[in-house]
Amino acid sequence: MDQNQMMERAEQLVGKIDDLPTIPVVATQVLQLLDSPDVVIEDVADLMLTDQVMTARVMKMINSPVYRPSHEITSLKRALVYLGLRHIREVALTTSFIKAFEAGTGPFDVNLFWEHSFGVGMVSKIIAQKVGYADLEKAYIAGIIHDLGEVFISHYMPDEFARVLAHMEQHQLKLYDSEAEVLGTTHCEIGLCMARSWNFPEAYQEVILQHHTVDAATIDPILCAVVNLSDLFCSVRGLNYGDREWVSFNLQEEQAWQILKHHAPALATMDVERFCYELDDAVPDVQELVRSIFSSTEQAEH
Amino acid sequence: MAISDKDFELLRDFIYNICGMYFHSTKKYFLESRLTRRMEAAGAKTHQDYYMLLKSPRGSEELKYLMDEITTNETYFFRNVPQLNAFENKLLPEIVEIKNKMGFRKLRIWSAASSSGEEAYTMAMILQEKRATLLKDWIIEIVGTDINETVVAQAKEGVYNAYSVRNIPDVYKRKYIKEEGGKFILSPEVKRFVTFNKLNLYDDSKMIFMKSFDFIFCANVLIYFDTASKSKVVQHFYNNLQPYGYFFVGQSESLHGVNDKFKTVHFPGGFGYKK
Repeated sequence: MDQNQMMERAEQLVGKIDDLPTIPVVATQVLQLLDSPDVVIEDVADLMLTDQVMTARVMKMINSPVYRPSHEITSLKRALVYLGLRHIREVALTTSFIKAFEAGTGPFDVNLFWEHSFGVGMVSKIIAQKVGYADLEKAYIAGIIHDLGEVFISHYMPDEFARVLAHMEQHQLKLYDSEAEVLGTTHCEIGLCMARSWNFPEAYQEVILQHHTVDAATIDPILCAVVNLSDLFCSVRGLNYGDREWVSFNLQEEQAWQILKHHAPALATMDVERFCYELDDAVPDVQELVRSIFSSTEQAEH
Repeated sequence: MAISDKDFELLRDFIYNICGMYFHSTKKYFLESRLTRRMEAAGAKTHQDYYMLLKSPRGSEELKYLMDEITTNETYFFRNVPQLNAFENKLLPEIVEIKNKMGFRKLRIWSAASSSGEEAYTMAMILQEKRATLLKDWIIEIVGTDINETVVAQAKEGVYNAYSVRNIPDVYKRKYIKEEGGKFILSPEVKRFVTFNKLNLYDDSKMIFMKSFDFIFCANVLIYFDTASKSKVVQHFYNNLQPYGYFFVGQSESLHGVNDKFKTVHFPGGFGYKK
């Protein structure tokens, strides 16, 4: 199906929704503050402290095994110093997405969604490092947000999404193909509509749209390829929305692998087997991170 | 003796680099207990001492003892579930389709370190279930080989203990296993596809006659070989496969750096090597 047609269809579907989640005001202010040239960490900390839920989540994320601080960090300011200014952006954005969709119901378990998202974020960062991609945080965020459209479909169109899943299982399709057949569009186009309404930078918009069609990427093909491969690895190592989709791949046949090998020839000698085993070891860390982020909300809100 | 994270990683890397077997973090306590036994036997007081021993000229001998500790009593039916799922649901239908097109309705599978036969018979059960559908009118040949004549004899007998059969799904167990006085006896229905022979994987003159397999399984044996021997044996496996065949090693094993002809095919929970 033509991507323009699928885009039109996505715009119709997203346009119908009046109460599209918004990013919390504080997060937007934090992002603005981070963009100003003379930003100081104290100001960011003061602003974030006005949002208890965000503060609690930042503390949970910082002390999770995915970040691995050498000892527990107990103050927000120390957490922000540890993160550094560029990482604050990633944490503020991440906590906002969680906020936007925490009431998520529908066929997808929201925890499984975040496990996949954080998993792809973490693996994107590792692959970005291996290929010498300059901005590791960008890779991490891109990984976390790549499937935003999926949570929209599950949340706002639960009946249609249940049909997508049934169709996928019956015909043994990829989720992406099943969406195209049943909905006339996919999570990629739908995610792009959301990313536009949230004013995401273009590189992220492209990852959301092209992470299954990396050869169509023009703005940052390396980033798209990194996220595409992370998505594949997570999908075969237990961070895959609960085994619904059968994913199988051979790196040599993957466009993303070719793009990255061209960019970083040393990748050809990567020990992919060991990489998979190490990823298995990281799965409980990712699950724990997701659990802790969601339980922090309950503690802060009750 | 409790092992620190640092020592665990040190020993894990050592074992991986020499043997091609990865110890997941979840296996830390298992490795710890096995190490404790070997450290006592070898007179090493700390994990660091033991690591130095493994790296010393006497290390290769000690490593063999350690590997024996790590891998003994590990064989049982339906052992590597992700691998079996991929085999049954995707890779087998793929090969059947290829061979149907060629009009060549014969399936050949090799369990290349068959021990007492559990892996070969697991395959036999899975394939027997498909005799009325996917594999209707197909000839099925499963070959199990092992260097040890005692286990080959056991495999031929097809009588097992409760430990071996504990993972067999009920639907198979009801059909293919009969319990008699605490022993579990395999039905002739699945035994008939399988033959067992003694074979040394180092024996080039014999290896070249193992021909035309669609699938080869070789779990927990290559970890004992040095890199040169591994390469040689894996090259034999490559040659012994049909052009579209698959080769599998055990859970947590890796062939990285051993053979650059096979393509690694990933699937949920595992990977296999495609010719």
